[in-house]
Amino acid sequence: MTALSSTAPARGAWSDRRDASLFLGLLPALVVLAALTAAPGIYLVLTSLTPLNLANPGSAWDFSQPLGNYVSMFEDPRFLNSVAVQVKLSLSSVVLQLFSGLAVALLLHANTRVRTIARSALLIPMVLPPIVVGITWLALFTVDISPLHRFMEGIGLPIPPLLTNPSTALWAIVFAGTWQHFPFAMLMSLAALQMVPDSPIEAARIDGASRSQIFWHVRLPFIAPTLVVAGLFILIDSVKAFPLIFIMTDGGPGEVTEVTNFYVYRQAFTFSLWGYGSAIATLMLAGVFVVSYAIYRITSPKDDHGQ
Amino acid sequence: MASEIADAPTTREPSGRSKPSWRQRNPLWLGDLATVVLALLVLFPFLWLIQISLRPKEELFSSSILFTPTLENYLALWKGNFPFSFVNSIVSSTAATVLAMIIGVPAAYALSRGRFRSGRQIGLWILVTRMAPPVAFTIPLYISFRWLDLHDTRLGLVIVYLTFSLALVIWMMKPFFDSIPRELEEAAAIDGCTTWQTFLTVTLPLAGPGLAATAVICFIQSWNDFFFALILTRTQASTAPVAIVGFIQYVGWEWGRMAAAGTLVMMPVVLFSIFVRKYLVRGLAAGSIKG
Repeated sequence: MTALSSTAPARGAWSDRRDASLFLGLLPALVVLAALTAAPGIYLVLTSLTPLNLANPGSAWDFSQPLGNYVSMFEDPRFLNSVAVQVKLSLSSVVLQLFSGLAVALLLHANTRVRTIARSALLIPMVLPPIVVGITWLALFTVDISPLHRFMEGIGLPIPPLLTNPSTALWAIVFAGTWQHFPFAMLMSLAALQMVPDSPIEAARIDGASRSQIFWHVRLPFIAPTLVVAGLFILIDSVKAFPLIFIMTDGGPGEVTEVTNFYVYRQAFTFSLWGYGSAIATLMLAGVFVVSYAIYRITSPKDDHGQ
Repeated sequence: MASEIADAPTTREPSGRSKPSWRQRNPLWLGDLATVVLALLVLFPFLWLIQISLRPKEELFSSSILFTPTLENYLALWKGNFPFSFVNSIVSSTAATVLAMIIGVPAAYALSRGRFRSGRQIGLWILVTRMAPPVAFTIPLYISFRWLDLHDTRLGLVIVYLTFSLALVIWMMKPFFDSIPRELEEAAAIDGCTTWQTFLTVTLPLAGPGLAATAVICFIQSWNDFFFALILTRTQASTAPVAIVGFIQYVGWEWGRMAAAGTLVMMPVVLFSIFVRKYLVRGLAAGSIKG
């Protein structure tokens, strides 16, 4: 900033020319993004206004009942069920991941050799391919091979198969998802804890504050904004939940684990109801846009495109 | 700042002046012990899958910890179609990464240095692209791929991977460029270098670690993809993650082979992420923490 303001009069023709030439570097990316994201986005919204069904090609550009899909959505019990499942999955994921991530971060926040290594090792679940997480937990929830089931039986507390039981299947998936994604909340919390200044903590300590008082009154207020952003990211990721459900339950038993994302997949790729699937996907996209905008507003400081 | 969590010192450890009563009640070794127990518990599923892949068929369901490791599951994979899918994964993820870097790195530099009237909107667009549920792209892309004959081709897969990897590259590289001082570029400009000559000779070499980390994370994201490959490929271009599903659906419950395939698919990711662990936050959190 200082460099620019000190040469303020010189800014002008040179820097305009520079901006123009920089724009040439941006252009290919904009073109590709437009072709790959904006164009499909527009196509998706248009398709959502038609009853497109691959079995009936004439339905492709039939705009006679533009809002038909949106109306029938609210009369479709299976869709409404998928929204309810989605809400359960999303809320429990956000709460569990934030809570476990923060708890682990508070443990690892001390700087010993063991904990430095653990900070790296505990990242592993987050980078694993989702499909591998899926088969791992599918096996761990399968009674005849799983050491978990064997262990619980050994101590006299056998657990029934969780994935085929309608009242536990969703929670088994939430558990596997939390295992996979908690390192993200952990990393965000660690980063935030690191930025908490020392002086208020020292002051509180001298005043005789207990450890938990320091956490609630000094640390937590400092890291709260980061936790909010982390929660929004977890929320968005939970809307994309697919591989674990596909592998572990395939939406079942019945429809108890069929989240909205999975229902769209069913409508479009199993039943070929493209128009209807597009309408639901459009609504999801709108929701993601709202949350992304919130994240953008929170994380872009005032000096947004500044130096 | 956010990039150094994994290693950076997080607290000033007792240098003798800290309150003894406070520390004595919470000795460090107790926390270390808790950390070791926690890490073992958390990593158990991951380690368990690897040992399953080495178990002979007869001992798959036995609970004994000791067994004679065997590579029979891996050999069975080698003889099947799995190597073909594995190569597909390598080719399409690498090609997508290279393309995304070539297009995305100059764009990130332009966004970092230029002043564009719609800079904010472009930033938001890139964020939404990164956040959007894949199913929203697959419906239109599936239909257009049928017209363009791109269904079940590696090229089609590479194009689809660009939808998220390009946004990722721009999002990750911009902060790296932001942190490189402009004074060096100004000196080069005075010496008569054009904007992009300066970029290639001065800025890009300084961004080396950032480039490496970005490329690795970009590769991991494409490599880990399951959804796009499931829908947009069938046999010719199917990737390793999709091939794993085949062990459930067609061969019955082939736990040993499934575990071996899973181990092979996750190994590159685990190794790579150890190299770039410092930058993982920035990649996976999409730069959401700013110092």
